[in-house]
Amino acid sequence: MKIGLLYGTETGNAEMLCDDIEEELGSSFECSISDLGDVEPDELSADTFYIIVTSTYGNGDLPTTAAPFYDKLEEQKTDLSGIRFAIFGLGDMVFDETYNQGSERLSKLLIECKAQMVGERGLHDASSGEPPEDMALPWVQSIISLHSAEAA
Amino acid sequence: MSGKIAIIGSGPSGCYLAQALVKLCPDAEITIIDKLCTPYGLIRYGVAADHQGTKAVTRQFARLFEKQGVSFIGNLEIGTDMTLTELRECMDVVVLATGLYADRHFDVTGAELQGIYGAGEITRFWNAHPDSENFKPEFGETVTVLGNGNVALDIIRLLAKSEADFDGSDFNTAHINNGIQTIHVVGRSPLEQAKFDAVMVRELRGISGLECKLADDDTLTVEDGNQVSEALNELFSTELGNPAKQVIFHSGWQVEEFTGDNGRLSSVVLRSAKSQARKTIPCDCVITAIGFEDKSMFTRDTLLQNAQNSESGMVESGLFVAGWFKRGPTGTIPENRTDSQQVAEGISEWMKSNTGKKPGRSAITSRFASKVTSYEDWLTINDIELRFAAENRCRQKIATRSAMMAAIEQQKEPA
Repeated sequence: MKIGLLYGTETGNAEMLCDDIEEELGSSFECSISDLGDVEPDELSADTFYIIVTSTYGNGDLPTTAAPFYDKLEEQKTDLSGIRFAIFGLGDMVFDETYNQGSERLSKLLIECKAQMVGERGLHDASSGEPPEDMALPWVQSIISLHSAEAA
Repeated sequence: MSGKIAIIGSGPSGCYLAQALVKLCPDAEITIIDKLCTPYGLIRYGVAADHQGTKAVTRQFARLFEKQGVSFIGNLEIGTDMTLTELRECMDVVVLATGLYADRHFDVTGAELQGIYGAGEITRFWNAHPDSENFKPEFGETVTVLGNGNVALDIIRLLAKSEADFDGSDFNTAHINNGIQTIHVVGRSPLEQAKFDAVMVRELRGISGLECKLADDDTLTVEDGNQVSEALNELFSTELGNPAKQVIFHSGWQVEEFTGDNGRLSSVVLRSAKSQARKTIPCDCVITAIGFEDKSMFTRDTLLQNAQNSESGMVESGLFVAGWFKRGPTGTIPENRTDSQQVAEGISEWMKSNTGKKPGRSAITSRFASKVTSYEDWLTINDIELRFAAENRCRQKIATRSAMMAAIEQQKEPA
């Protein structure tokens, strides 16, 4: 199975988490890491399972590197039938009114474009003090089992 | 490329620069030097104590020292312990990433009165910066904050919070300001043009017992799509019957003078930015949050004027600038990340044709062995700070250099 790790980041935290996920999965799967800013919506491929990690920035917006992807997808409404993805959001409860809205908005748009979301959105709160990888790595394992079961 | 690179300043810009250099120049010897015993600069001493999620970016920077071969040399001040010229003799590339942390001087009549503080010095005091050891601000009951940016919002929020609002932070309970009743906020522009981030305005809504309102003689124009004006409008819509503390916003005013009794501040006299109107705010102290300037020993203005390549930050052959020291005192942590990536590309390009046979970090560590701190020493301090955290706090900072050095010495002694 091919796994495409895609990140949207402002401070680099989402990129680092993708590095950790790759390290966890790299020996079992064919993994690649890309900045969402370098990905075109119509380049997504049905033979890859996408795991997206994105933060939230500003007023509940997507971070700088994810914003162009979001805007293109919104404008082109690319048909993403057959594309499967899971999404993990990095947020901060200090800003509770916009907490993790970035990952929420991106997942909604992907679903609107007919991509299929696997499992629940993972949500990490930076103010919790818990390292994001402690939460994300078990989440990734459960998401992959779910994906394998659903895809079979 | 096996050049020797020293970055002066271990704040976000310096650390992001090292991060980018690790990828671009994997064979280079990279050393981050700081005048303080501990790494991370602004993240540790500038980012507010109740924004631990923002401070969590240090987890990325820890990897520089733990996995990516970057070294930390603390407690070494370039310009005091050794000159910049001496450092440059040891290194192929030196980068000044020391930030801009001096409060911009506020030049009006009465500025010398006691009771007028800079936002930077207050922020460092609240963050237990070692230079704050002898700094004892007195806030009184009524505080006036001058400035309409996020630094002002940090100050307002931390003044307004009471004990329960600080759960999970590393704010020292002894510094909570229960005596404050009123915080006046004064800005020159109309409030809808304030340089606040809307999310930080919203954050004020969650503070227990706090009422925020517009001064009686002031107006707010709520503009469609202007998130700050919308957030302020929502903030002002909540009225409490008997608030513990009040924040009152005054916009469109400039400070005419500070007046005082016996050398101590007693009021701020304001002049309208548009008319001849004046008003006086009696208060016990003023905190200026009007920007930062350079007070370093590195002759920043001259360096920048003669810069060879302002994009990459090269100011002289082999000498680069990064972060706020390069860009001036504006821009968030992420903007400085992007900028540091550009500087790293400039350094990598320059090193292709300019790497000499400089001795590198060993020349420094051997000369200053008994004085400097290492990343391992920081881990010792970090461990103690986490272990001795008070109830409902994530950390108890060691506030003085001497206590830090004592803790490090104790760790090194054989058991």
